Amino acid sequence: MKLLPLRSDIPAESTPRRGLAPAMIEIDRVSQIFQTSGRQKHLALSEISLTIEDGAFVSILGPSGCGKSTLLYIVGGFVSPTGGVATMKGKPITGPGPDRGPVFQEFALFPWKSVLGNVMYGPRQQGVKPAQAEAQSRALIEMVGLKGFEDFYPKELSGGMKQRVALARTLAYHPAVLLMDEPFGALDAHTRTRLQNDLLNIWERDRKTVLFVTHSVEEAVFLSDKVVVMTRSPGRIKEIVDIDLPRPRRRAELLLDPHYQKYVVDIEHMIDDTSEDELRP
Amino acid sequence: MISARAILSRSASLLACLGLLGIWQIGALILNTESFPTALEALRAIPSILGDKEALINILASLRRMAVGFALALVVSIPLGLMMGRSRAIASFFNPLLMIIYPVPKAALMPIIMLWLGVGDIAKTLVIFLGVSLPVIYHSFQGARAVEEKMLWSGAAMGLSALQRMIRIVLPAALPEILTGCRTGLVLALITMITSEMIARQSGAGNILFNALDMGQYDTVFAMIIIVGAMGIGLDAAFENLRGRLVRWSEPRFDIPLSFS
Repeated sequence: MKLLPLRSDIPAESTPRRGLAPAMIEIDRVSQIFQTSGRQKHLALSEISLTIEDGAFVSILGPSGCGKSTLLYIVGGFVSPTGGVATMKGKPITGPGPDRGPVFQEFALFPWKSVLGNVMYGPRQQGVKPAQAEAQSRALIEMVGLKGFEDFYPKELSGGMKQRVALARTLAYHPAVLLMDEPFGALDAHTRTRLQNDLLNIWERDRKTVLFVTHSVEEAVFLSDKVVVMTRSPGRIKEIVDIDLPRPRRRAELLLDPHYQKYVVDIEHMIDDTSEDELRP
Repeated sequence: MISARAILSRSASLLACLGLLGIWQIGALILNTESFPTALEALRAIPSILGDKEALINILASLRRMAVGFALALVVSIPLGLMMGRSRAIASFFNPLLMIIYPVPKAALMPIIMLWLGVGDIAKTLVIFLGVSLPVIYHSFQGARAVEEKMLWSGAAMGLSALQRMIRIVLPAALPEILTGCRTGLVLALITMITSEMIARQSGAGNILFNALDMGQYDTVFAMIIIVGAMGIGLDAAFENLRGRLVRWSEPRFDIPLSFS
């Protein structure tokens, strides 16, 4: 297991080169214990340490129940860890904040607000003037490919469209980090591919830090700079794989690229090993 | 082009009313007793009641008590129900209390309330308040409990405080359910209004009804039943209209959601 040392000594203005970029998020020996219904304690996360550099696209990959979403919720401040500490730009995370924008698998849109109303919600909360918030939001809606749907309600949209709205809504308040919790998990294969491509295109523009939880190996390799492979029960980091594939990535080229294929196969092997671990007594 | 079927389905409620009046008319003609006036006799008594200043004052007083009791119940019950829905501690404190009050007919409390508060407006308004509160608390509770956790997290990430999340996320998200409770509450307000006036006979629509019964003015009795029933139908229809506009977002504009990734 290769972990980057905690490098708070690196000045923030250093050029973002992989491995040398300043740390955006540091997770230091974070553990999470859940009380199960049978009064037993379940160790969901065990002493996880991870550094996420500024501008990096990091995926957390693992089987369901490995605590990967819990780790994301801890970074989001929605869940407090039972042990350890997560920091953002050196400050301990104590609760949710607009510097970390979540995008959930369940979309979690406000159903009583139109598409425009949903996207404007964050900027308005931040005190942006209505006209300015609306202009920014309309531009974002266009960017995620939903021009013409501004006045629709979430109930009238398909899953893929809802997730586009959710992404625009989160981007609208300019979080420094995007926290994506299996965002495309509820979508069909075709829609999923389209959204992956569009997410990459959007991400290429400003290279925000992204923490992306998924259980799809292809998705993780296609999108990420770094894939964190996790094991189950207790959730631990098995390996961190740097994905050294050129950007911007084109899906059609990448699928034919032997490097890409090797990453996918190697990581699948790691996950297979993990599953066998579970079978041991 | 409107089909005959569409015309029929649209005028169905009107036809049902006319049918009911027709059966009543025929039944009353066959029975031919003094205590059961015909539909026409009852309908004919309506203008004289509505034309009578004192009767109108009575009816308006009833409506005023009903409106005050209903409004007060909403002001108390919606926040209470929402808080119960979001906080286990608050729910476990109030739930047993509500379980005890729930099966008790609110009109049965009237004698005690009259004893303490007299037969005036306060006692009657209190009974209406109690009658409306329970369904509104229950539905607000259910609505708040069903609010997706992730929706609240999304709000928290945008910087909404706990109170702001309650008012700006839990309240609108639970609104369809809350309004369902309010609709039940509105009908219960009408029922408890009449019952309270039957017990504490001093003024109001219920008072007119029972005075007429005492004096054997059966056409007035039946006319009052029609008036009260019409008020109920009118209020319910008006409320449904309001509800439809408030929660338009919860009903899809199309039968099938748009398909486009």
